[in-house]
Amino acid sequence: MFERALNAFWIALGAAAAAYAWTLGVMSPSGPDSGLFPLIAAAIIVGSGITLMAQRASLAASPDFPRGAALWRVGGVVAGLALFALGIPYLGFAITGAITMLILLRTVEQSSWAMSVLLAIASVVAVVWLFGHLLGMPLPRGPWGF
Amino acid sequence: MDAINGLMTGFGVILTAQNLYFCLLGSLIGTLVGVLPGVGPLAALALLLPVTFTMQPVGGMVMLASIFYGAMYGGSTTSILLNIPGEAASVVTCIDGHKMARQGRAGAALGIAAIGSFIAGTLGVIIMTFFAPAIAAVAIRFGPPENFGLMVLGLVCTLYMITGSPVKGVLMIALGFLCAAIGIDVVNGRERFTFGSVDLSAGIELLAVVIGLFGVSEVLGNVETMAKSTLVSEKIRGLWPTLNDWRQSWRPMLRGSGLGFILGLVPGGGPVTASFMSYALEKRISPTPERFGEGAIEGVAGPESANNAAVAGSLIPVLSLGIPGNPVTALLLGALVIHGIQPGPLFVTQRPDLFWGIVASMYVGNVFLLVLNLPLVGLWAQLLRIPYRVLFPVVLLLSVIGTYSANKNVFDLWVMLGFGVAGYVLRKLEYDLAPFVIAFVLAPMLEQSMRQSLAMSADGAMIFLQRPGTALLLAASALLIALIFRRKRKIEGGMP
Repeated sequence: MFERALNAFWIALGAAAAAYAWTLGVMSPSGPDSGLFPLIAAAIIVGSGITLMAQRASLAASPDFPRGAALWRVGGVVAGLALFALGIPYLGFAITGAITMLILLRTVEQSSWAMSVLLAIASVVAVVWLFGHLLGMPLPRGPWGF
Repeated sequence: MDAINGLMTGFGVILTAQNLYFCLLGSLIGTLVGVLPGVGPLAALALLLPVTFTMQPVGGMVMLASIFYGAMYGGSTTSILLNIPGEAASVVTCIDGHKMARQGRAGAALGIAAIGSFIAGTLGVIIMTFFAPAIAAVAIRFGPPENFGLMVLGLVCTLYMITGSPVKGVLMIALGFLCAAIGIDVVNGRERFTFGSVDLSAGIELLAVVIGLFGVSEVLGNVETMAKSTLVSEKIRGLWPTLNDWRQSWRPMLRGSGLGFILGLVPGGGPVTASFMSYALEKRISPTPERFGEGAIEGVAGPESANNAAVAGSLIPVLSLGIPGNPVTALLLGALVIHGIQPGPLFVTQRPDLFWGIVASMYVGNVFLLVLNLPLVGLWAQLLRIPYRVLFPVVLLLSVIGTYSANKNVFDLWVMLGFGVAGYVLRKLEYDLAPFVIAFVLAPMLEQSMRQSLAMSADGAMIFLQRPGTALLLAASALLIALIFRRKRKIEGGMP
């Protein structure tokens, strides 16, 4: 069911992209225009989506999506990364990284609080020292200067 | 003799303290990412690419290339001791390698894997030394239509090599094209698919795509299962193979080297395919195929040689034609472009220092890796005691750093997360992600070749058939497509 919905999505995406590419112009007096290449790509997506929709053989054998604890772990990683992206502009890399690590270690790995705090701080300090200090990468800083 | 002179130039470039350091560092990191399950060479390359921005191109490329072939060495350690592949090209090594370890022959398996890797890696670079400039010399005569034909053939070869549905492969290629079209059209400066977003006007960042698809989605898959593994913890002894081991292994090593090199050359081939094909070949031609799966040393020697030779083979199309055959070489191509270098037929003549520096570094790197993987194998084995549940948060931290440091833009982190989730779901639905990345990297060059060809043509698209070289390349592509669908029909019909 999910895969059929995805195939429908491919068709819709391809059709929308083709319509947009057409508005960019396909051919101009000086040659091919901006829309030609994306139009071809979009047409292939529509064609492939229709073919996949029509073919039962192309369906994945048994898409095994996570449930229970496995879903919790996968969701924890996604939420952790989303938190990272949200927090970095305000809190900087070190603080956001430590909070995210703490959440990941508590939700996914289910470590004890003490072990989670220790691991989170140690790994963030190591990464900031290696990349920020040793390799000279400018990591985003928070209001506290780190 | 040009190749010998070029190689001497390369050794002149690489034999400096700084470049040797980068080669050693890359070999170390490569072995490390090969050993650690869940961190492949592609993710490592993507994470460390921003580090090379401040380096000289030679040092940066030498380091990235040595991570690629270093991972092939390290992957076997995990397969043999843990029965979990350190990276995808070592999957088949688990079968007989781990069995050997369980029989108390871990040392022999590790030794033959390292020595086979060294022999194949060195043989591969020797062939590459003479072969790559020759290919570039032919390709230098290519115009836009021939380049277009070559890239189409490369993409079709990728389709031929993927497992699973070819229609899904085609869809991934088209999606790669579409995602690459986002941003500013370099020909006329018009914005495409940006919908007024400033973040999208610069296009989608390659690193965010690669780290998302191959780093984050890998972590999501691994934390889902969190499989428990059994480390062979006994002391590793007898790394140097016995006379009998040599007798059984030298032919598989040579066959693996040849097969791996050829499969590396083919777009879509590369180390993973090479190792599987080598295992299948050794089992098929063995007078005692029943030993395979029960600890046959040929099942380690062949695939481990093949995946290393494939690395050298896969670097040829990217360095001499500018066409990547797998996601890792696509990223290497991206790295060269970021450094302001356009790989292709002119690369050998315009940047001999860089081209021959990379080639020479592979000779040196293979020696480093033999040393790192034989006497120091015990050290790498200790790393396998780090549980994945402690490792993955660090991998995610590194993913964020690698993605963010490319443009210092938080938007890229959302792109990484989006592609990570998409990659995780698409893998579940048996979509192969490699064609997407290859198409994403090739798209700008493919579009440019197509538009230049059409602009210079008086007969529109007929130019692709009027030029003999292009017509031949497109005919080969059409033939391969026919073969792909014939094979698919056979499988669906249950035909032998």
